[in-house]
Amino acid sequence: MKESSPLRIGMPLPRLGRLAWLATNTVVLASLLAGCATPPPPAPVRYSATVVLLDNDDGTTGKVHVSGSGGMTVLDRSHEATFIGSPTGTTFDLNDGQLQKDFGPALAASPIPPTHFLMYFDFGSTKLTAESRALLPKILDEVGKRPAPDVSVIGHTDTVGDDPVNEALGLSRAKLVADMLAAGRKIEPSKIALESHGKRNLLVPTPDKTVEPRNRRVEVTVR
Amino acid sequence: MAMPTENTRTDGPPIERASRWILAAAVTMAIASMAMPATAETAPQDEVIGYVKTAVPDAEVVAAMNTSNTATTVKAVPGTPVRRGNSLRTGPAGSMGVTFKDNTIISIGPDTEVSVDDYLYEPSKGDLKLGASIGKGTMQYVSGVIAKLKPEAVAIKTPTGTIGVRGTKFVVKVEPTP
Repeated sequence: MKESSPLRIGMPLPRLGRLAWLATNTVVLASLLAGCATPPPPAPVRYSATVVLLDNDDGTTGKVHVSGSGGMTVLDRSHEATFIGSPTGTTFDLNDGQLQKDFGPALAASPIPPTHFLMYFDFGSTKLTAESRALLPKILDEVGKRPAPDVSVIGHTDTVGDDPVNEALGLSRAKLVADMLAAGRKIEPSKIALESHGKRNLLVPTPDKTVEPRNRRVEVTVR
Repeated sequence: MAMPTENTRTDGPPIERASRWILAAAVTMAIASMAMPATAETAPQDEVIGYVKTAVPDAEVVAAMNTSNTATTVKAVPGTPVRRGNSLRTGPAGSMGVTFKDNTIISIGPDTEVSVDDYLYEPSKGDLKLGASIGKGTMQYVSGVIAKLKPEAVAIKTPTGTIGVRGTKFVVKVEPTP
């Protein structure tokens, strides 16, 4: 804290009541705390910010809405860029060379994208179908490719049976798959997150009390 | 502000001191929390919302102020947990990549600071939110389930404005102007 601080930590104590002292002390402490959380930049620094839209991994291109003092600008073409705060609609294209020059390390640091698997079960049971059992080595390969994997395992059921039964069945299915993954010894069990959605999150929408093999599943996401 | 009353005084000086201390601490925390960025009230602050997946030193994960009034900084390595309110920080040669629970990916280049101010991922309850701020440096964002289900719940702040996401991948660079 600089000498110009208006808080004057060294103010003689006797002139203040104990209550006032406590309050002052508290404010000083609080402002110190707040100051630690986000060190204020030297006052006159101004920033410029550039946003560049990129292709998604599946080849499609999304959209971003950029809002600043100049209004709102929409980017919807690959490599289209804008300075945040520039007048609405002011965009330019950034070529690959410049993109790599400016963003190379951030792009290179991007983790392996998450991979998803669906495993299916026999009716009312925790018995995996033969096809789904055969997926296990592929899932373990994906786990093994990652230096620090974490996995989410979500169990689901079809709409036959009541809620408590399906919640429990979904969890049993998830647990079975989680145990199989843990047995592969490529991931710490603490990095496997288990959940049951019972019949609340159908892959194929059906009425209640409907047999639907595609809803009896476990979703595995390897991150 | 309520000071100890006659009733508490009869309990004797040590308790009076203790209750004053507690009062001071409570007021301090209340003021400090007002000064800190707003976070979701429904979810605990220390919940793990993602993990560091790639890291090149210097890279660190900085926890916001906790109740013992200390900010904790941990070196980022693959596997380091990221919690709501944490900041991702890199030095001149550093970089890191984080994958969040909803499959959102944020990766940053050197001399960068990004804080994850808001994160809610409870799809079954419809509670979805992602708010991050980049103070300086370079960042790539790849959208996950939150942006897919509720695009308006995602906002990336910069010192000069805000980026709203409509299911997509983009990069952003923040630098001081001369």
